[in-house]
Amino acid sequence: MISLRKFLVTLFLTSCLLLTSCAQQAPSRFDGAQQESTSKGATAVSDNSQSGGSFNRYFPDAADGYERIYSQEKQGFAQAKLKKDGQEIAILSISDVLNNPSTVDKFKDSADNISGYPAISQGSTGTAVLVNDRYQVKIRSKDSNFSQSDREKWLGKFDLRGLSKLK
Amino acid sequence: MSKSIFELVDNLPTNNVTTMMLKSLDSIVPGEWENTVGFVNTIRKVTGETDEELIQQIGDRAVWLYNDKSQGYRRAMWLYQTVDRTDRALGSAALANKVGNKIPLIGGLLTKVTPNPDKAQSLDLCIKLVVELVAFCQINGIPGDSIGDFVGALGDYSGESLMRMAALICVDGLIPLGPDFLLKAQSTLEGIGPKELESNSTFSGVQEEIPGGNTRGKLDFIGESFDSVKGWMADFTASKNLTPQKVMSNLQGFLEFSDSKLDYVAAFIDMSTNYYEHTGTQTLARRLIERAFDEI
Repeated sequence: MISLRKFLVTLFLTSCLLLTSCAQQAPSRFDGAQQESTSKGATAVSDNSQSGGSFNRYFPDAADGYERIYSQEKQGFAQAKLKKDGQEIAILSISDVLNNPSTVDKFKDSADNISGYPAISQGSTGTAVLVNDRYQVKIRSKDSNFSQSDREKWLGKFDLRGLSKLK
Repeated sequence: MSKSIFELVDNLPTNNVTTMMLKSLDSIVPGEWENTVGFVNTIRKVTGETDEELIQQIGDRAVWLYNDKSQGYRRAMWLYQTVDRTDRALGSAALANKVGNKIPLIGGLLTKVTPNPDKAQSLDLCIKLVVELVAFCQINGIPGDSIGDFVGALGDYSGESLMRMAALICVDGLIPLGPDFLLKAQSTLEGIGPKELESNSTFSGVQEEIPGGNTRGKLDFIGESFDSVKGWMADFTASKNLTPQKVMSNLQGFLEFSDSKLDYVAAFIDMSTNYYEHTGTQTLARRLIERAFDEI
């Protein structure tokens, strides 16, 4: 026979457990990434990737009223904003796929190419080319008037050949 | 354990004293700040994408980047969180006293705040500026002592970053220090020594992340940073015709106070808001998502 005291203690402990579990954050669709990326030895960026600064010279020059403003420079990654009349119209970037190797998979079925490099479109705003299976060059529209053909045209303005020689 | 980036963005409040204060400043930087909260919602807003699979990939990569300590994002978040030392109880009490859409700054609320002396307030302003500089470099990857790059980028500040700078000028500059807040800050920096800097609580909270080695070096760094952005701040203030009176009438959109209590208004806002942490989290999430989408 369970004594009243034991019953109350059990009830108390159970309610504590229930209360604390309710106070926890609800499960998230990003829990998996959180768990993997915080496990021992996990890194998002490889030491062997190129320095971000080494990519800057391959970006297209801005002319004819366009403005190019470098916005991020991290290991294996460089990004610039493309502006016209002071408005941001696109984001340009070069990234080293060593930091995220699975990103090359999407180019396997590519039927298009820009300057001979496989090209794909991504989502409704992005177009990317893969240079030498190593560097992803991407343009994303920030203004709906900057179309897919604008992205393709501007991808062709990167020094893709020069980038292909970067070792 | 520190929180994940999606928890931090999911937990951003939609309505508290901080958001009320920022909304009241909207006419100073019209349309720049929208209180975007929620991680998935932020991904949608920043990228303009709606495909769930793509959003998942962008979010996953952002989570990985944020958790890689070598990438600087956690340090930037810590700086934004630490430089705001908010008294949450005061914020809740203020909200509980709300009449209609306004918080009357009277009675009990007034007794809970103590105005900062000018010197401490000037230092707060300068240290918050340096935190912005260091956090900017941690997030965007420009080496931590590259003041020139920062000043160039300041001209390109927009959205919640521009709102943060506007709020800094308004509620940490003009309201507590008056129209010559830049001169006051300058003379405080010129007259202070390492010992006195060490005794400032805002400095001691974040000092480990300020470049410069010893306290003398850090003081020099603060001085150089201030020198290089004071022109931008003066231009911003002049171009928007900002005066303490103008900011006051903006703040009166959510706060009821008498004009003789400006010091108390500044102290109340200092203690009851965390606008650096709030908008800093939004800036960091945006930059992280912009990078994550480019890398997937």
